[in-house]
Amino acid sequence: MFEAEGLMVFYENMLALNNVSLKCEETQIVGIFGANSAGKSTLMYTLSGIILDIRKKEEMAGGERITIRGRVQFNGRDIISDKPSSRARAGIILCPERRRIFPESTVLENLRIGGYLATSSQARETLDYVMTIFPPLKRILKRLGGFLSGGEQQMLAIGRALMAQPKLLLLDEPLLGLSPAIQYLLAKSIKEIRDQRGMSIIVAEQYARPIIPIIDYGYILENGAAVVDGGRQELMDNPDVKSAYFGT
Amino acid sequence: MDIIIYGIINSVSLALMAVGFTLVYGVSRLPNFAHGALYVLTGYLTWLLMYRLGLNYFLAALLALALTGLIGAAMYQLVLIRVRGMPISEIIASYAIGLAILEGLRWGGLKGGTFRLPPFIEGSVLIFGVSVDFQRIFVVVLGSALMGGLWLFVNNTKLGLALKGMAQDERAALTLGIDSDRMAVVATAIGSMLAGAAAIILLPLGSIVVESGYHVLIMAVAVCIVGGLGSWTGAVFAAFIIGFAQIITVVFLGAHFQVVVALLAIVVTLVSRPSGLFGRQKELEERV
Repeated sequence: MFEAEGLMVFYENMLALNNVSLKCEETQIVGIFGANSAGKSTLMYTLSGIILDIRKKEEMAGGERITIRGRVQFNGRDIISDKPSSRARAGIILCPERRRIFPESTVLENLRIGGYLATSSQARETLDYVMTIFPPLKRILKRLGGFLSGGEQQMLAIGRALMAQPKLLLLDEPLLGLSPAIQYLLAKSIKEIRDQRGMSIIVAEQYARPIIPIIDYGYILENGAAVVDGGRQELMDNPDVKSAYFGT
Repeated sequence: MDIIIYGIINSVSLALMAVGFTLVYGVSRLPNFAHGALYVLTGYLTWLLMYRLGLNYFLAALLALALTGLIGAAMYQLVLIRVRGMPISEIIASYAIGLAILEGLRWGGLKGGTFRLPPFIEGSVLIFGVSVDFQRIFVVVLGSALMGGLWLFVNNTKLGLALKGMAQDERAALTLGIDSDRMAVVATAIGSMLAGAAAIILLPLGSIVVESGYHVLIMAVAVCIVGGLGSWTGAVFAAFIIGFAQIITVVFLGAHFQVVVALLAIVVTLVSRPSGLFGRQKELEERV
């Protein structure tokens, strides 16, 4: 359903993604694990098309030259040169790194802005769903986005992405800066969302431990290259992965 | 009483002049220095449609507004989009377009005080013993209605909410399927039409002159800086502060100090609170 092939991204001469290929079947959760600067965010930006916008802005300001090579197939169509807005329309929604909540809008308004691509009945239905999957949001609907705790912000960010009616949800470091308890809670919610809404999810994360139990397939990213990949159990049994990500 | 009534009228006029500028800046971080030129242009187009083509007032005004919106969108799509993200170039390019429009109009014969739009209804009334003509009442009523309408649009329609999202975080808006380039065109078109609407409501109070283009631009910039660039509530508050300050100086000092008040407000704001009255969020960012 979703397939990236031979993705290469350069920032000037620096290789940020080195020949990365990955696959995500319908209703699968795919994990992408790697340390800081392994290329996770670049990969997510490339899959969602945001990289095209970054490249355009850099070009205009005379900044870094960004080169993108490879193919991204979604439902059998190559979308590597599609604008981020048309990819979003096709159902690929990114929940970006550091959440990027609209700080001067209330929680409710954040969600309503998220519903830009939804019809009004879809928006109403999804809003109810977001309230059932993240009940803490219900009490703070009127609070400004800038005044939320990290956990609340992340719930809101995922909720906002759901409002856009994704078929493929890309989560970029959803657990960043959260306490272990909330990390496990969120991982559980991510799995529930997949089970109840039947969408595909790709999660990029450096904290593999809470995410690995919920994935169907995973990739390990190192220095921009996918060095190891495999199913959940395969990854858990791999001695290199074990020592790097589970500390045993 | 004079001060209060004329203060309100003046404040609403200022808010009208500034609201389009602040909308465009808020959404696309584009300081549209052609704002004043679009204001005069709408007035002149209305005059042309009325007296050269013989359309009725209402129709002429609507058509002029639509034309101004198109010109604003074209201006963005053809020129400004190429310099986006470079603030100095944006200012130079938009100011150049403004100059071209204004001086082009002057060259084309827009001189002297002979170009006038008639007031919507002639006559005046006494309000608390102060004589106010109907046009000034229209300024307050239509101005408030326009801003109320804009508020409803921004908070209740998909397009308005998308504009609001983009104003806060363009990349986050992009991830939600909001096309930033298209939104910027829409914002520039709406901003231009707001400049035009201000012209249609305010110009009947005087005559259509090229100089008012520069005057409106200065006022819009002053209001936006005092209110906090890109903050819509801030702009309305700032319009009232500057509006009343101006009327008070007119009463106690003399009419020619009006512009000084606006310029002084810019200086004082930049010295004491560089991010403006409602720029608190940005103030935090500045410190970090």
